[in-house]
Amino acid sequence: MPDYPSRWSPRHLAADRWIGLFGLTRATAILIAVGLLAVHRVTSYDVLLAVVVLGYGTVTIGLVLRHPGVLRQPLAWAVDLGVALALIAVSDDWRSPFYLLALTALAPPSVALPFRRALTVGAAFTVAYVAVAVLTGLDLTTLSSSIRLETLATHLVLPGVVTVGLAYAADVLRRLARERERTERLAVEAERRRIAWELHDSAKQRLHAAHLVLSVLPHSETLELGLEHLRGATADMETSIAELRSPLGGRPLEAVLRERASELDLLAGATEVSVLGSAPRLPPSAVAHTYRIIAEAMSNAVQHADADRVQVRLSADGETLHASVEDDGRGLPERLRPGANGLLNMHSRAFAIGARLTIDSPSPAGGTRVRLVVPPVPSEGATP
Amino acid sequence: MIRVALVDDHPALVAGLTTVLRHEPGIVPVGSAVDLAEAEHLVYTTHPDLVLLDYHLPRGDGLQFCHRLKTDAPAPKVLIFSAYADARLGFAARAAGADGLASKGAPAPELFEVIRRVARGERVLPPLTPELLREASSRLDPEDAPLLSLLVDGTVPRDISATLRLHPAEVETRVRRVLSRLRIELAATEAPGATAANR
Repeated sequence: MPDYPSRWSPRHLAADRWIGLFGLTRATAILIAVGLLAVHRVTSYDVLLAVVVLGYGTVTIGLVLRHPGVLRQPLAWAVDLGVALALIAVSDDWRSPFYLLALTALAPPSVALPFRRALTVGAAFTVAYVAVAVLTGLDLTTLSSSIRLETLATHLVLPGVVTVGLAYAADVLRRLARERERTERLAVEAERRRIAWELHDSAKQRLHAAHLVLSVLPHSETLELGLEHLRGATADMETSIAELRSPLGGRPLEAVLRERASELDLLAGATEVSVLGSAPRLPPSAVAHTYRIIAEAMSNAVQHADADRVQVRLSADGETLHASVEDDGRGLPERLRPGANGLLNMHSRAFAIGARLTIDSPSPAGGTRVRLVVPPVPSEGATP
Repeated sequence: MIRVALVDDHPALVAGLTTVLRHEPGIVPVGSAVDLAEAEHLVYTTHPDLVLLDYHLPRGDGLQFCHRLKTDAPAPKVLIFSAYADARLGFAARAAGADGLASKGAPAPELFEVIRRVARGERVLPPLTPELLREASSRLDPEDAPLLSLLVDGTVPRDISATLRLHPAEVETRVRRVLSRLRIELAATEAPGATAANR
Protein backbone atom coordinates (compact mmCIF):
# COMPACT_ATOMS: atom_id res chain seq x y z
CA MET A 1 0.00 0.00 0.00
CA PRO A 2 1.68 3.26 -1.08
CA ASP A 3 1.75 5.88 1.63
CA TYR A 4 0.21 8.85 -0.12
CA PRO A 5 1.45 12.33 0.68
CA SER A 6 -1.23 14.63 2.11
CA ARG A 7 -0.72 17.34 -0.53
CA TRP A 8 0.45 17.33 -4.08
CA SER A 9 3.70 18.97 -5.16
CA PRO A 10 6.12 18.28 -8.03
CA ARG A 11 8.38 16.52 -5.53
CA HIS A 12 5.58 14.22 -4.43
CA LEU A 13 4.63 13.54 -8.02
CA ALA A 14 8.15 12.39 -8.77
CA ALA A 15 8.08 10.23 -5.65
CA ASP A 16 4.73 8.70 -6.47
CA ARG A 17 4.39 8.32 -10.22
CA TRP A 18 1.24 6.30 -9.77
CA ILE A 19 -0.78 9.42 -8.94
CA GLY A 20 0.55 11.22 -12.00
CA LEU A 21 -0.13 8.21 -14.19
CA PHE A 22 -3.66 7.92 -12.86
CA GLY A 23 -4.36 11.61 -13.54
CA LEU A 24 -2.90 11.38 -17.03
CA THR A 25 -4.90 8.26 -17.94
CA ARG A 26 -8.10 9.80 -16.69
CA ALA A 27 -7.45 13.07 -18.57
CA THR A 28 -6.84 11.04 -21.76
CA ALA A 29 -10.06 9.03 -21.25
CA ILE A 30 -12.04 12.26 -20.79
CA LEU A 31 -10.51 13.96 -23.83
CA ILE A 32 -11.32 10.86 -25.91
CA ALA A 33 -14.91 10.92 -24.60
CA VAL A 34 -15.29 14.62 -25.47
CA GLY A 35 -13.67 14.01 -28.87
CA LEU A 36 -16.10 11.16 -29.62
CA LEU A 37 -19.03 13.34 -28.58
CA ALA A 38 -17.80 16.08 -30.93
CA VAL A 39 -17.23 13.79 -33.92
CA HIS A 40 -20.35 11.65 -33.62
CA ARG A 41 -23.80 12.59 -32.61
CA VAL A 42 -24.46 10.22 -29.73
CA THR A 43 -27.49 11.77 -28.02
CA SER A 44 -29.57 14.88 -28.38
CA TYR A 45 -27.79 16.43 -25.37
CA ASP A 46 -24.14 15.85 -26.37
CA VAL A 47 -23.03 19.37 -25.36
CA LEU A 48 -24.42 18.96 -21.85
CA LEU A 49 -22.72 15.54 -21.55
CA ALA A 50 -19.38 17.01 -22.72
CA VAL A 51 -19.62 19.81 -20.14
CA VAL A 52 -20.55 17.38 -17.37
CA VAL A 53 -17.73 14.97 -18.15
CA LEU A 54 -15.15 17.77 -18.47
CA GLY A 55 -16.30 19.22 -15.15
CA TYR A 56 -16.37 15.85 -13.41
CA GLY A 57 -12.95 14.94 -14.82
CA THR A 58 -11.37 18.22 -13.71
CA VAL A 59 -12.84 17.92 -10.23
CA THR A 60 -11.76 14.29 -9.72
CA ILE A 61 -8.23 14.79 -11.07
CA GLY A 62 -7.85 17.94 -8.95
CA LEU A 63 -9.12 16.10 -5.89
CA VAL A 64 -6.69 13.22 -6.40
CA LEU A 65 -3.73 15.57 -6.84
CA ARG A 66 -4.64 17.58 -3.73
CA HIS A 67 -5.72 14.70 -1.53
CA PRO A 68 -4.20 11.49 -2.92
CA GLY A 69 -5.65 9.69 0.12
CA VAL A 70 -9.08 9.53 -1.59
CA LEU A 71 -7.64 6.87 -3.89
CA ARG A 72 -7.89 4.54 -0.91
CA GLN A 73 -11.47 5.39 0.07
CA PRO A 74 -14.05 2.70 -0.82
CA LEU A 75 -16.74 5.40 -0.80
CA ALA A 76 -14.82 7.38 -3.44
CA TRP A 77 -14.45 4.22 -5.58
CA ALA A 78 -18.18 3.53 -5.35
CA VAL A 79 -19.11 7.12 -6.26
CA ASP A 80 -16.65 7.20 -9.16
CA LEU A 81 -17.77 3.84 -10.59
CA GLY A 82 -21.42 4.85 -10.10
CA VAL A 83 -20.93 8.13 -11.98
CA ALA A 84 -19.08 6.36 -14.82
CA LEU A 85 -21.83 3.72 -15.18
CA ALA A 86 -24.50 6.45 -14.98
CA LEU A 87 -22.75 8.34 -17.81
CA ILE A 88 -22.77 5.14 -19.88
CA ALA A 89 -26.48 4.69 -19.11
CA VAL A 90 -27.43 8.24 -20.13
CA SER A 91 -25.38 8.01 -23.32
CA ASP A 92 -28.01 5.46 -24.31
CA ASP A 93 -25.72 2.81 -25.82
CA TRP A 94 -23.42 0.23 -24.29
CA ARG A 95 -20.72 1.23 -26.82
CA SER A 96 -20.45 4.47 -24.89
CA PRO A 97 -17.74 7.15 -25.20
CA PHE A 98 -17.49 6.94 -21.39
CA TYR A 99 -16.39 3.33 -21.30
CA LEU A 100 -12.68 4.27 -20.98
CA LEU A 101 -13.53 6.63 -18.10
CA ALA A 102 -15.24 3.72 -16.34
CA LEU A 103 -12.09 1.63 -16.83
CA THR A 104 -9.97 4.32 -15.14
CA ALA A 105 -12.41 4.27 -12.21
CA LEU A 106 -11.53 0.59 -11.77
CA ALA A 107 -7.83 1.35 -11.26
CA PRO A 108 -7.83 2.66 -7.64
CA PRO A 109 -9.65 -0.34 -6.09
CA SER A 110 -7.56 -2.76 -8.20
CA VAL A 111 -4.35 -1.30 -6.81
CA ALA A 112 -5.47 -0.84 -3.20
CA LEU A 113 -7.30 -4.12 -2.56
CA PRO A 114 -5.79 -7.55 -2.05
CA PHE A 115 -5.61 -9.61 -5.27
CA ARG A 116 -8.81 -11.67 -4.81
CA ARG A 117 -10.96 -8.78 -3.69
CA ALA A 118 -9.74 -6.73 -6.67
CA LEU A 119 -10.87 -9.57 -8.92
CA THR A 120 -14.29 -9.48 -7.26
CA VAL A 121 -14.55 -5.75 -7.96
CA GLY A 122 -13.67 -6.39 -11.63
CA ALA A 123 -16.31 -9.12 -11.90
CA ALA A 124 -18.91 -6.94 -10.17
CA PHE A 125 -18.18 -4.15 -12.61
CA THR A 126 -18.72 -6.49 -15.57
CA VAL A 127 -22.08 -7.59 -14.15
CA ALA A 128 -23.10 -3.96 -13.56
CA TYR A 129 -21.99 -3.10 -17.07
CA VAL A 130 -24.12 -5.90 -18.55
CA ALA A 131 -27.08 -4.57 -16.53
CA VAL A 132 -26.52 -1.06 -17.94
CA ALA A 133 -26.18 -2.54 -21.44
CA VAL A 134 -29.49 -4.36 -21.07
CA LEU A 135 -31.07 -1.20 -19.65
CA THR A 136 -29.93 0.89 -22.63
CA GLY A 137 -31.37 -1.73 -24.96
CA LEU A 138 -29.00 -4.51 -25.91
CA ASP A 139 -30.48 -5.26 -29.30
CA LEU A 140 -29.80 -8.96 -29.84
CA THR A 141 -30.42 -8.75 -33.58
CA THR A 142 -27.55 -6.32 -34.05
CA LEU A 143 -25.23 -8.86 -32.44
CA SER A 144 -25.47 -11.17 -35.45
CA SER A 145 -22.58 -9.23 -36.92
CA SER A 146 -19.34 -10.83 -35.72
CA ILE A 147 -17.70 -7.40 -35.38
CA ARG A 148 -20.43 -6.25 -32.98
CA LEU A 149 -20.14 -9.53 -31.12
CA GLU A 150 -16.41 -9.08 -30.81
CA THR A 151 -16.89 -5.52 -29.55
CA LEU A 152 -19.25 -6.73 -26.87
CA ALA A 153 -16.85 -9.51 -25.86
CA THR A 154 -14.00 -6.98 -25.61
CA HIS A 155 -16.14 -4.65 -23.49
CA LEU A 156 -17.00 -7.51 -21.14
CA VAL A 157 -13.48 -8.91 -20.81
CA LEU A 158 -11.49 -5.69 -20.61
CA PRO A 159 -12.47 -4.79 -16.99
CA GLY A 160 -11.21 -8.21 -15.86
CA VAL A 161 -7.93 -7.76 -17.74
CA VAL A 162 -7.41 -4.27 -16.25
CA THR A 163 -8.11 -5.36 -12.67
CA VAL A 164 -6.01 -8.54 -12.92
CA GLY A 165 -3.06 -6.68 -14.42
CA LEU A 166 -3.12 -3.80 -11.95
CA ALA A 167 -3.85 -5.97 -8.92
CA TYR A 168 -1.01 -8.34 -9.83
CA ALA A 169 1.46 -5.48 -10.32
CA ALA A 170 0.38 -3.81 -7.07
CA ASP A 171 0.70 -7.11 -5.22
CA VAL A 172 4.24 -7.62 -6.51
CA LEU A 173 5.17 -4.05 -5.54
CA ARG A 174 3.73 -4.49 -2.06
CA ARG A 175 5.70 -7.71 -1.58
CA LEU A 176 8.86 -6.05 -2.83
CA ALA A 177 8.39 -3.16 -0.39
CA ARG A 178 7.76 -5.57 2.50
CA GLU A 179 10.80 -7.62 1.57
CA ARG A 180 12.99 -4.54 1.37
CA GLU A 181 11.72 -3.34 4.74
CA ARG A 182 12.45 -6.75 6.24
CA THR A 183 15.96 -6.81 4.78
CA GLU A 184 16.65 -3.34 6.14
CA ARG A 185 15.33 -4.29 9.57
CA LEU A 186 17.44 -7.42 9.64
CA ALA A 187 20.51 -5.43 8.64
CA VAL A 188 19.90 -2.93 11.43
CA GLU A 189 19.38 -5.73 13.94
CA ALA A 190 22.55 -7.50 12.84
CA GLU A 191 24.46 -4.24 13.18
CA ARG A 192 23.09 -3.65 16.68
CA ARG A 193 24.01 -7.20 17.68
CA ARG A 194 27.50 -6.69 16.35
CA ILE A 195 27.97 -3.45 18.31
CA ALA A 196 26.58 -5.04 21.46
CA TRP A 197 28.90 -7.97 21.03
CA GLU A 198 31.91 -5.70 20.55
CA LEU A 199 31.03 -3.68 23.62
CA HIS A 200 30.64 -6.83 25.63
CA ASP A 201 33.57 -8.66 24.19
CA SER A 202 36.14 -5.92 24.24
CA ALA A 203 35.34 -2.71 26.09
CA LYS A 204 33.58 -4.32 29.04
CA GLN A 205 36.25 -6.97 29.51
CA ARG A 206 38.90 -4.24 29.60
CA LEU A 207 36.92 -2.43 32.30
CA HIS A 208 36.75 -5.66 34.31
CA ALA A 209 40.48 -6.16 33.85
CA ALA A 210 41.29 -2.58 34.90
CA HIS A 211 39.05 -2.91 37.95
CA LEU A 212 40.65 -6.21 38.89
CA VAL A 213 44.23 -4.95 38.53
CA LEU A 214 43.58 -1.71 40.44
CA SER A 215 41.71 -3.52 43.21
CA VAL A 216 44.94 -5.16 44.46
CA LEU A 217 46.49 -1.76 45.26
CA PRO A 218 46.55 -0.66 48.93
CA HIS A 219 43.30 1.00 49.96
CA SER A 220 42.85 4.75 49.75
CA GLU A 221 39.93 7.10 49.27
CA THR A 222 41.13 8.11 45.80
CA LEU A 223 41.43 4.50 44.71
CA GLU A 224 37.98 3.69 46.07
CA LEU A 225 36.51 6.58 44.06
CA GLY A 226 38.30 5.39 40.92
CA LEU A 227 37.02 1.83 41.41
CA GLU A 228 33.51 3.13 41.98
CA HIS A 229 33.69 5.01 38.67
CA LEU A 230 34.92 1.88 36.91
CA ARG A 231 32.00 -0.08 38.37
CA GLY A 232 29.63 2.70 37.25
CA ALA A 233 31.08 2.60 33.74
CA THR A 234 30.62 -1.17 33.64
CA ALA A 235 26.99 -0.81 34.74
CA ASP A 236 26.40 1.90 32.11
CA MET A 237 27.87 -0.33 29.44
CA GLU A 238 25.66 -3.15 30.65
CA THR A 239 22.62 -0.92 30.14
CA SER A 240 23.77 0.07 26.66
CA ILE A 241 24.32 -3.55 25.72
CA ALA A 242 20.89 -4.50 27.05
CA GLU A 243 19.38 -1.63 25.02
CA LEU A 244 21.15 -2.67 21.85
CA ARG A 245 19.75 -6.14 22.31
CA SER A 246 16.36 -4.33 22.48
CA PRO A 247 14.45 -6.76 24.68
CA LEU A 248 11.19 -4.87 24.10
CA GLY A 249 10.72 -6.09 20.54
CA GLY A 250 7.42 -4.25 20.11
CA ARG A 251 5.78 -5.95 23.10
CA PRO A 252 3.55 -3.91 25.43
CA LEU A 253 5.26 -2.18 28.34
CA GLU A 254 3.39 -4.07 31.07
CA ALA A 255 4.38 -7.44 29.57
CA VAL A 256 8.09 -6.59 29.53
CA LEU A 257 7.87 -5.14 33.06
CA ARG A 258 6.13 -8.29 34.36
CA GLU A 259 8.88 -10.36 32.83
CA ARG A 260 11.52 -8.21 34.55
CA ALA A 261 9.56 -8.39 37.82
CA SER A 262 9.49 -12.19 37.80
CA GLU A 263 13.22 -12.19 37.04
CA LEU A 264 13.86 -9.92 40.03
CA ASP A 265 11.53 -12.06 42.16
CA LEU A 266 13.63 -15.06 41.32
CA LEU A 267 16.97 -13.37 41.93
CA ALA A 268 16.04 -11.42 45.04
CA GLY A 269 14.28 -14.30 46.77
CA ALA A 270 12.78 -12.48 49.73
CA THR A 271 11.39 -9.48 47.84
CA GLU A 272 7.98 -9.64 46.18
CA VAL A 273 7.71 -7.57 43.01
CA SER A 274 4.34 -7.04 41.36
CA VAL A 275 3.14 -5.07 38.35
CA LEU A 276 -0.48 -3.88 38.23
CA GLY A 277 -2.46 -2.22 35.45
CA SER A 278 -1.53 -1.55 31.86
CA ALA A 279 -0.03 1.26 29.84
CA PRO A 280 -1.49 3.24 26.92
CA ARG A 281 0.15 2.93 23.53
CA LEU A 282 3.31 5.04 23.40
CA PRO A 283 5.87 5.64 20.64
CA PRO A 284 8.66 2.99 20.67
CA SER A 285 11.38 5.37 21.93
CA ALA A 286 9.17 6.50 24.82
CA VAL A 287 8.41 2.86 25.67
CA ALA A 288 12.13 2.00 25.71
CA HIS A 289 13.02 4.91 28.04
CA THR A 290 10.00 4.32 30.27
CA TYR A 291 10.93 0.67 30.58
CA ARG A 292 14.51 1.54 31.60
CA ILE A 293 13.36 4.12 34.16
CA ILE A 294 10.89 1.74 35.82
CA ALA A 295 13.28 -1.22 35.62
CA GLU A 296 16.00 0.88 37.31
CA ALA A 297 13.56 1.92 40.05
CA MET A 298 12.56 -1.72 40.55
CA SER A 299 16.12 -2.99 40.86
CA ASN A 300 17.07 -0.08 43.15
CA ALA A 301 14.24 -1.10 45.47
CA VAL A 302 15.35 -4.72 45.40
CA GLN A 303 19.10 -4.16 45.65
CA HIS A 304 19.57 -1.07 47.79
CA ALA A 305 16.35 -0.38 49.67
CA ASP A 306 16.10 -3.81 51.31
CA ALA A 307 12.35 -3.85 50.59
CA ASP A 308 9.94 -6.74 51.19
CA ARG A 309 7.40 -5.59 48.65
CA VAL A 310 7.79 -3.55 45.48
CA GLN A 311 4.66 -2.52 43.65
CA VAL A 312 4.57 -1.07 40.15
CA ARG A 313 1.30 0.56 39.08
CA LEU A 314 0.52 1.59 35.53
CA SER A 315 -2.53 3.50 34.40
CA ALA A 316 -3.64 5.42 31.36
CA ASP A 317 -5.15 8.90 31.50
CA GLY A 318 -6.18 9.32 27.88
CA GLU A 319 -2.92 8.79 26.06
CA THR A 320 -0.80 9.82 29.05
CA LEU A 321 0.92 7.13 31.11
CA HIS A 322 0.95 7.41 34.89
CA ALA A 323 3.38 5.00 36.49
CA SER A 324 4.51 4.57 40.07
CA VAL A 325 7.00 2.29 41.80
CA GLU A 326 6.53 2.03 45.57
CA ASP A 327 8.48 -0.04 48.05
CA ASP A 328 8.48 -0.54 51.81
CA GLY A 329 12.26 -0.40 52.12
CA ARG A 330 14.51 1.93 54.06
CA GLY A 331 13.83 5.02 51.94
CA LEU A 332 16.24 7.35 50.24
CA PRO A 333 19.73 7.69 51.76
CA GLU A 334 20.86 11.09 53.12
CA ARG A 335 23.79 11.14 50.78
CA LEU A 336 23.98 9.27 47.53
CA ARG A 337 26.78 6.77 46.99
CA PRO A 338 29.68 8.34 45.08
CA GLY A 339 29.48 7.39 41.42
CA ALA A 340 25.90 6.20 41.78
CA ASN A 341 24.46 7.36 38.50
CA GLY A 342 21.31 5.24 38.42
CA LEU A 343 19.13 8.16 39.58
CA LEU A 344 20.92 10.55 37.24
CA ASN A 345 20.25 8.22 34.33
CA MET A 346 16.58 8.00 35.28
CA HIS A 347 16.25 11.78 35.26
CA SER A 348 18.05 12.25 31.95
CA ARG A 349 15.89 9.53 30.34
CA ALA A 350 12.73 11.22 31.65
CA PHE A 351 13.95 14.53 30.24
CA ALA A 352 14.61 12.91 26.85
CA ILE A 353 10.98 11.86 26.45
CA GLY A 354 9.46 14.93 28.10
CA ALA A 355 8.25 12.94 31.09
CA ARG A 356 7.91 14.17 34.68
CA LEU A 357 9.81 12.12 37.27
CA THR A 358 9.53 12.56 41.03
CA ILE A 359 11.27 10.46 43.65
CA ASP A 360 10.40 10.85 47.31
CA SER A 361 9.84 9.08 50.60
CA PRO A 362 6.18 9.73 51.43
CA SER A 363 6.19 8.47 55.01
CA PRO A 364 8.81 8.97 57.74
CA ALA A 365 8.65 5.22 58.44
CA GLY A 366 10.52 4.56 55.21
CA GLY A 367 9.75 3.43 51.71
CA THR A 368 10.43 5.13 48.44
CA ARG A 369 7.97 6.29 45.83
CA VAL A 370 8.94 6.92 42.24
CA ARG A 371 6.31 8.59 40.09
CA LEU A 372 6.51 9.00 36.35
CA VAL A 373 4.12 10.80 33.99
CA VAL A 374 4.78 10.18 30.30
CA PRO A 375 2.81 12.40 27.89
CA PRO A 376 2.00 11.14 24.40
CA VAL A 377 4.64 12.58 22.10
CA PRO A 378 2.94 14.66 19.40
CA SER A 379 3.17 12.72 16.16
CA GLU A 380 5.33 14.20 13.41
CA GLY A 381 2.29 14.91 11.28
CA ALA A 382 0.83 17.24 13.93
CA THR A 383 3.89 19.49 14.15
CA PRO A 384 4.33 21.68 11.08
CA MET B 1 50.12 -23.40 47.00
CA ILE B 2 46.97 -23.28 44.80
CA ARG B 3 47.71 -23.88 41.12
CA VAL B 4 45.12 -22.10 38.97
CA ALA B 5 44.37 -22.62 35.26
CA LEU B 6 42.54 -19.78 33.49
CA VAL B 7 39.99 -20.40 30.75
CA ASP B 8 38.77 -17.14 29.24
CA ASP B 9 38.67 -15.88 25.69
CA HIS B 10 39.28 -12.21 26.50
CA PRO B 11 43.00 -11.39 26.30
CA ALA B 12 42.78 -8.22 28.41
CA LEU B 13 41.09 -10.03 31.26
CA VAL B 14 43.45 -13.03 31.08
CA ALA B 15 46.47 -10.69 31.22
CA GLY B 16 44.97 -8.80 34.18
CA LEU B 17 44.09 -12.01 36.02
CA THR B 18 47.51 -13.54 35.45
CA THR B 19 49.19 -10.41 36.80
CA VAL B 20 47.13 -10.14 39.97
CA LEU B 21 47.24 -13.90 40.66
CA ARG B 22 51.02 -14.01 40.21
CA HIS B 23 51.46 -11.29 42.84
CA GLU B 24 49.20 -13.00 45.35
CA PRO B 25 51.11 -15.24 47.73
CA GLY B 26 49.87 -18.84 47.81
CA ILE B 27 48.24 -18.70 44.36
CA VAL B 28 50.07 -19.54 41.13
CA PRO B 29 48.61 -19.20 37.63
CA VAL B 30 49.80 -22.22 35.63
CA GLY B 31 48.54 -21.13 32.23
CA SER B 32 45.57 -19.91 30.24
CA ALA B 33 43.35 -21.14 27.43
CA VAL B 34 41.04 -19.21 25.12
CA ASP B 35 38.69 -22.04 24.10
CA LEU B 36 37.64 -25.51 25.20
CA ALA B 37 40.11 -27.42 23.02
CA GLU B 38 43.01 -25.46 24.50
CA ALA B 39 41.47 -25.73 27.94
CA GLU B 40 41.34 -29.51 27.75
CA HIS B 41 44.98 -29.64 26.76
CA LEU B 42 45.91 -27.18 29.52
CA VAL B 43 44.12 -29.17 32.22
CA TYR B 44 45.56 -32.54 31.18
CA THR B 45 49.11 -31.23 30.92
CA THR B 46 49.30 -29.00 34.01
CA HIS B 47 46.91 -30.80 36.43
CA PRO B 48 45.81 -27.59 38.17
CA ASP B 49 44.16 -27.57 41.61
CA LEU B 50 41.55 -25.14 40.37
CA VAL B 51 40.15 -24.11 36.99
CA LEU B 52 38.83 -20.55 36.73
CA LEU B 53 36.32 -21.04 33.93
CA ASP B 54 34.59 -18.30 31.94
CA TYR B 55 30.92 -19.17 31.56
CA HIS B 56 30.52 -17.74 28.05
CA LEU B 57 33.04 -19.29 25.73
CA PRO B 58 33.15 -19.12 21.95
CA ARG B 59 32.49 -22.48 20.27
CA GLY B 60 31.61 -24.27 23.47
CA ASP B 61 29.61 -24.35 26.63
CA GLY B 62 31.32 -23.63 29.95
CA LEU B 63 28.72 -25.66 31.88
CA GLN B 64 29.25 -28.81 29.80
CA PHE B 65 33.00 -28.48 30.16
CA CYS B 66 32.63 -28.01 33.91
CA HIS B 67 30.57 -31.20 34.13
CA ARG B 68 33.17 -33.10 32.11
CA LEU B 69 36.01 -31.86 34.34
CA LYS B 70 34.13 -32.82 37.48
CA THR B 71 33.48 -36.40 36.30
CA ASP B 72 37.23 -36.97 35.87
CA ALA B 73 39.28 -38.49 38.65
CA PRO B 74 41.06 -36.69 40.18
CA ALA B 75 38.87 -33.70 39.34
CA PRO B 76 40.18 -30.15 39.76
CA LYS B 77 38.06 -27.62 41.63
CA VAL B 78 36.06 -25.54 39.17
CA LEU B 79 35.20 -21.91 39.77
CA ILE B 80 32.77 -20.43 37.22
CA PHE B 81 33.72 -16.87 36.36
CA SER B 82 31.14 -14.59 34.78
CA ALA B 83 30.11 -10.98 34.36
CA TYR B 84 26.55 -12.08 35.10
CA ALA B 85 27.15 -13.98 38.33
CA ASP B 86 23.60 -14.07 39.71
CA ALA B 87 21.52 -16.65 41.54
CA ARG B 88 20.25 -18.20 38.31
CA LEU B 89 23.72 -18.74 36.92
CA GLY B 90 24.72 -20.00 40.39
CA PHE B 91 22.02 -22.62 40.12
CA ALA B 92 23.17 -23.74 36.66
CA ALA B 93 26.77 -23.86 37.91
CA ARG B 94 25.67 -26.00 40.85
CA ALA B 95 23.90 -28.43 38.50
CA ALA B 96 27.07 -28.66 36.40
CA GLY B 97 28.99 -29.64 39.53
CA ALA B 98 30.96 -26.39 39.88
CA ASP B 99 32.53 -25.61 43.25
CA GLY B 100 32.01 -21.91 43.12
CA LEU B 101 30.82 -18.85 41.25
CA ALA B 102 32.76 -15.59 41.07
CA SER B 103 31.80 -12.29 39.47
CA LYS B 104 34.07 -10.63 36.96
CA GLY B 105 33.15 -7.35 38.59
CA ALA B 106 34.39 -8.33 42.05
CA PRO B 107 37.62 -6.75 43.37
CA ALA B 108 40.70 -8.96 43.41
CA PRO B 109 40.81 -9.58 47.22
CA GLU B 110 37.29 -11.02 47.00
CA LEU B 111 38.35 -13.25 44.13
CA PHE B 112 41.40 -14.48 46.09
CA GLU B 113 39.15 -15.26 49.03
CA VAL B 114 36.76 -17.30 46.87
CA ILE B 115 39.69 -19.17 45.26
CA ARG B 116 41.09 -20.05 48.73
CA ARG B 117 37.73 -21.19 50.09
CA VAL B 118 37.02 -23.35 47.03
CA ALA B 119 40.55 -24.82 47.17
CA ARG B 120 39.91 -25.76 50.84
CA GLY B 121 36.88 -27.76 49.69
CA GLU B 122 34.04 -25.31 50.35
CA ARG B 123 31.27 -24.75 47.82
CA VAL B 124 30.89 -21.01 47.23
CA LEU B 125 27.56 -20.78 45.41
CA PRO B 126 24.42 -18.69 45.94
CA PRO B 127 21.92 -20.55 48.14
CA LEU B 128 19.57 -23.03 46.55
CA THR B 129 15.96 -21.82 46.73
CA PRO B 130 12.71 -23.59 45.82
CA GLU B 131 11.95 -20.79 43.33
CA LEU B 132 15.19 -21.41 41.45
CA LEU B 133 14.56 -25.14 41.31
CA ARG B 134 11.02 -24.57 40.10
CA GLU B 135 12.09 -22.09 37.45
CA ALA B 136 14.83 -24.41 36.20
CA SER B 137 12.53 -27.47 36.19
CA SER B 138 10.02 -25.56 34.09
CA ARG B 139 12.63 -25.34 31.34
CA LEU B 140 13.20 -29.12 31.28
CA ASP B 141 11.31 -32.12 29.99
CA PRO B 142 9.29 -33.45 32.96
CA GLU B 143 11.22 -36.75 32.88
CA ASP B 144 14.47 -34.87 33.54
CA ALA B 145 13.26 -33.20 36.76
CA PRO B 146 14.48 -36.04 39.09
CA LEU B 147 17.86 -35.94 37.37
CA LEU B 148 18.12 -32.19 38.01
CA SER B 149 17.40 -32.68 41.72
CA LEU B 150 20.12 -35.32 41.93
CA LEU B 151 22.56 -33.06 40.07
CA VAL B 152 22.04 -30.05 42.36
CA ASP B 153 22.42 -32.37 45.34
CA GLY B 154 25.90 -33.16 44.04
CA THR B 155 25.22 -36.84 43.32
CA VAL B 156 28.03 -38.47 41.31
CA PRO B 157 27.07 -39.98 37.91
CA ARG B 158 27.55 -43.59 39.13
CA ASP B 159 25.01 -43.05 41.91
CA ILE B 160 22.67 -41.24 39.52
CA SER B 161 22.63 -44.21 37.15
CA ALA B 162 22.00 -46.57 40.09
CA THR B 163 19.18 -44.41 41.51
CA LEU B 164 17.42 -43.79 38.19
CA ARG B 165 18.25 -47.29 36.86
CA LEU B 166 19.74 -45.87 33.72
CA HIS B 167 22.79 -46.91 31.74
CA PRO B 168 25.76 -44.55 32.48
CA ALA B 169 25.86 -43.50 28.80
CA GLU B 170 22.14 -42.60 28.97
CA VAL B 171 22.81 -40.59 32.14
CA GLU B 172 25.54 -38.66 30.32
CA THR B 173 23.24 -37.88 27.38
CA ARG B 174 20.53 -36.65 29.69
CA VAL B 175 22.90 -34.57 31.81
CA ARG B 176 24.14 -32.88 28.67
CA ARG B 177 20.55 -32.19 27.66
CA VAL B 178 19.70 -30.73 31.09
CA LEU B 179 22.78 -28.52 31.10
CA SER B 180 22.07 -27.20 27.62
CA ARG B 181 18.56 -26.21 28.76
CA LEU B 182 19.94 -24.46 31.84
CA ARG B 183 22.27 -22.38 29.70
CA ILE B 184 21.33 -18.76 30.12
CA GLU B 185 21.27 -17.12 26.74
CA LEU B 186 22.52 -13.60 26.40
CA ALA B 187 22.28 -12.37 22.85
CA ALA B 188 25.05 -9.83 23.37
CA THR B 189 27.51 -12.47 24.44
CA GLU B 190 27.05 -14.55 21.32
CA ALA B 191 29.30 -13.80 18.41
CA PRO B 192 27.15 -12.15 15.69
CA GLY B 193 27.67 -15.08 13.31
CA ALA B 194 26.86 -17.65 15.96
CA THR B 195 23.43 -16.24 16.74
CA ALA B 196 22.37 -16.29 13.13
CA ALA B 197 23.60 -19.87 12.68
CA ASN B 198 21.76 -21.09 15.77
CA ARG B 199 18.39 -19.92 14.55
